[in-house]
Amino acid sequence: MQAAAAPGHAHSREIDWPADAQFGRASAGKIAMWIFLVSDGLSFAGLLLAYGILRGESLQWRHPGEPSLGVPFTAGLTFLLICSSVTMVFAYEAALEQRRGRAALFLGLTALGGALFLLGQYSEYFGILHPGLTREGLIFGQSAYASTFYVITSFHGFHVLSGTIYILITLGRWLRRKATAGQVELLGLFWHFVDLVWILVFTIVYLIPTGE
Amino acid sequence: MSDPLAHASRARQYLTIFFVLFVLTVLEVAVTYVHGHKLQIVISLFALAAVKAACVALFFMHLKWETRVLRATVVVPLMFPVLYALVLIAEGAWRRLGG
Repeated sequence: MQAAAAPGHAHSREIDWPADAQFGRASAGKIAMWIFLVSDGLSFAGLLLAYGILRGESLQWRHPGEPSLGVPFTAGLTFLLICSSVTMVFAYEAALEQRRGRAALFLGLTALGGALFLLGQYSEYFGILHPGLTREGLIFGQSAYASTFYVITSFHGFHVLSGTIYILITLGRWLRRKATAGQVELLGLFWHFVDLVWILVFTIVYLIPTGE
Repeated sequence: MSDPLAHASRARQYLTIFFVLFVLTVLEVAVTYVHGHKLQIVISLFALAAVKAACVALFFMHLKWETRVLRATVVVPLMFPVLYALVLIAEGAWRRLGG
C-alpha cells in the first residue's frame, strides 16, 4: 500500500487503497467523478423534465414554418458518439496494460469523434452543406419548441466540447508520462456519461413523435 | 475496477455491447417510421433508450463491477427525476380524462 503519497502528488500516481467496506477499491477520484456525474445528470434531468412539461401542456408543439428535426442525420451523430465510447474503453484497456502508443492512438480517435460530433452539431444549427436549422426558421426565443431544443442540445454540446478538451489534455499528459491509467478511467467515465445523456436526449427531443 | 475477465474477453464484451447499441439505435429510428400507435411507439422508444443507457453505464462505465453501495449511490438519486416524470405523466393523463 502506498496510501501515504505526498498531497501535491496524490494525483500523479496510482494509489493502492485498502479495500473499503462500502466502496471496495474505488479511488477517491472515482467516487468524486461519480458524484459529479450524478449532479450533472440531475441538471440534465431538470432540463428534460421542463421540456416534458412544456411539450405535454402545449396545444401545438411545432408551429407552422418551423422545421422538423433531422432524425437520420442525428442518428449518425448518435452512432458516432457510440463509436467514440468504444475507442475510449479500448484506450483505457491499453492504458491498463501500459501499451502507451495504443492508448494514445485510441485517445486521439476518441477526441476526433468528439470533434466530428461538434462539427455535426454546428452543421445542424448553422448549416455547412445545407441551410441549417437557424436559417430554416428554428429561432431561439420564438417558441418553446425552438428554445428547449437549443438549450438542451447546446448544453449537451458544451459537455462534448469540454470532454474533447479533457481528452486532449489527458492525451498530452499521457504522452509526457504524467497521466495514469486511473486518470484515463476517470476521463472515460465522463465521456461515457456524455454518450449516455445523448442517448436520452436523442430519444426525448428527436424521436418522440409530435403527432402532427 | 475489479473486473475478473481477461483482456481479450473484455475486448470481446465491449464489441458485443457496441453491436447491441448499434442495433438498438437502428431499431429506435425504425420505430419512428411506424404510423399510429403513438403510446406503443413512445413506450418502445423509452424502453430502447433505457436498455442502451443501462448498457453504457454497466459495461462501458464498469458499474457492473463496482460495489453495491457505489451502484446505489449513482442510481438511487437519478431515479427521483424518473419518479417525478411518472407522477407528472399520470397527473396529466388524469386531468385529460377529466378526473
